[in-house]
Amino acid sequence: MNLGIRAILYTTRKWKKTLLIFCLLLSITTLVLSGLAIADAQEEQTEEVRGTTGASFTVERDISTGGWTSGYSTQEFMTDDMIKEIAAVDGIAGYDASLITLPRFFNDKGEAFVTVENYSYYCYGSYNSQYHELFLSGRFELVEGKHITDDMSNGVIISKELADRNNLKVGDTVTGIYYPENNTPAVDMEIVGLFDIVADKDDAVNMYDDSSYYDYSNYVFCSMEAAKGLIKGWGEDGDGISEAYYYVSDAAQLDSVIKEVQGISSVNWNNYKITSNDEVYQNISSSLSDTGTLITTLIIVITVVSMVLIILILSMSVRSRKREMGILLAVGIAKPSVILQYILETALIAVVAFPLAYLSSRQVAGAIGTLFGKAAENVVVTPQHFALVAVVGGILLIIAVIVSCIPALRFKPKQILSQME
Amino acid sequence: MNIMELKNVVYAYENKKKVLKGINLSVEEGKMYAILGPSGCGKTTLLSLMGGLDSPTNGQILYDGQDIEKMGLSAHRKNNIAFIFQSYNLIDYLTPKENVALTSKLPPLPILERVGLTDEESKRNVLKLSGGQQQRVAIARALASDAKVILADEPTGNLDEDTAADVTAILKECAHQMNKCVVIVTHSNELAKQADVIFRLRKGDLQIAAN
Repeated sequence: MNLGIRAILYTTRKWKKTLLIFCLLLSITTLVLSGLAIADAQEEQTEEVRGTTGASFTVERDISTGGWTSGYSTQEFMTDDMIKEIAAVDGIAGYDASLITLPRFFNDKGEAFVTVENYSYYCYGSYNSQYHELFLSGRFELVEGKHITDDMSNGVIISKELADRNNLKVGDTVTGIYYPENNTPAVDMEIVGLFDIVADKDDAVNMYDDSSYYDYSNYVFCSMEAAKGLIKGWGEDGDGISEAYYYVSDAAQLDSVIKEVQGISSVNWNNYKITSNDEVYQNISSSLSDTGTLITTLIIVITVVSMVLIILILSMSVRSRKREMGILLAVGIAKPSVILQYILETALIAVVAFPLAYLSSRQVAGAIGTLFGKAAENVVVTPQHFALVAVVGGILLIIAVIVSCIPALRFKPKQILSQME
Repeated sequence: MNIMELKNVVYAYENKKKVLKGINLSVEEGKMYAILGPSGCGKTTLLSLMGGLDSPTNGQILYDGQDIEKMGLSAHRKNNIAFIFQSYNLIDYLTPKENVALTSKLPPLPILERVGLTDEESKRNVLKLSGGQQQRVAIARALASDAKVILADEPTGNLDEDTAADVTAILKECAHQMNKCVVIVTHSNELAKQADVIFRLRKGDLQIAAN
């Protein structure tokens, strides 16, 4: 009779012991799989935070090193080339800068747009409007079309409210003029997107004021090139870009990105300064790191305690089979064959327990994850988790069986049998 | 021809107490041997050494002229020896048929029937058999193997008179009709009298008592 048949007969006929080990393996594997899924959800959250907590830096004119005239700083403004050269540094996910103008807008018939009190529009010249603070903070939300990007020359996005008021839609062309009374240039722009105002009107922090051009519905974002066209010949000497905002893809890399930016030799860094802003990330990442450590520790503790428990139970099981081991050795069955039989028995149980644990962990991982502050839908047990647990668990079980067998197999058959008698 | 030979075999326990003091013994196929002696004199130890269940402290044990230590004790147990234990030593989660099949590829039922078990009994769990039936299964397991030497440790020690007589007859049959070498250790003079050669083990020495 080969060891395979012996293993099958043992697992089926000693079903109570089989059931005990099966339940143990099922619960331990379910816990470990859930733990891995929670750890991954934690990692994903950390990654997300690293990318989205607004870790950024600002490059701005250093007015302390420039001169002054009539109460205005004569420090040089930021140039288009400089802003784009910095944006090209590795690790920068996006950037924006603002050139604020207060133009009026006209439709293709030359009629001025209606504002609430007919004031000018508050117009941001922008490179990438999605990185504008009003969008990042969630006060505005693009609901139609697309954002202004640095490859657009004459794009504009306006509020949906303004569009409705003036029967405008995405694709329409409008004309902006900074000072119509002074014949400043007329710049044609194509409406590329519409935004909704999500900000709370009553919250003072939003500076939401219906009676001025600060009314959010009168805010306009246009391409930087268009904004520069608006002020051409009027105030272009006194107006320019004072600061630009850069958002890094990985908040943890903020310092190294800034270091690389400071190494750009074409920029006279005596005239500009850099301020980093990763306070939000630092606060959140510290709390995430604490949770991550807790989860990792729990997984390690669960795994170690489980393995100790399994080794103990297998040891007890092997001890109770010492007589059988002595008999098998006495009738000429080799020690490796006896160990292989025990490994195979455990493997037969694991082959059923592991896949069931995979299914059960998919049900319970979300619920366990909520205990660690994770959204249940983010805690997903993947086939990769299963493969990892099956391989590592399988190896650990083999080690556990061998370790359990060692005390008995150190003896000769006669010693084992006489101990039992 | 000698199938097994013990040359000056010494065995001492861990406390250095010598239980076997230079045993010399030769056994042949086709004969039944009995080793007599009081409890604790080292009979079972001697049988264990012959069966490769333990190693002697000194001396040599040869099977067919080959040192069993060099051959490998596990291989010796597997190929050359069949054991019958006083406490039967059957695997408790197997049926009699499966216990017999443990060491043999022969169909187990005819062998079990030969030692007196029915088809129905041979399918039961061994723990549900009487002591005599279990001993018959142990004998069947020994018979099923193609080993030339059968070592039996008090094979009738736990059996009633009638069953003991049956078991003795089977062992004699093994030696005389199947040409096996049967070595029995016992403290029963009745059983020993059935053997072709009787040895007596006393104070670590082995002497021929009857031939």
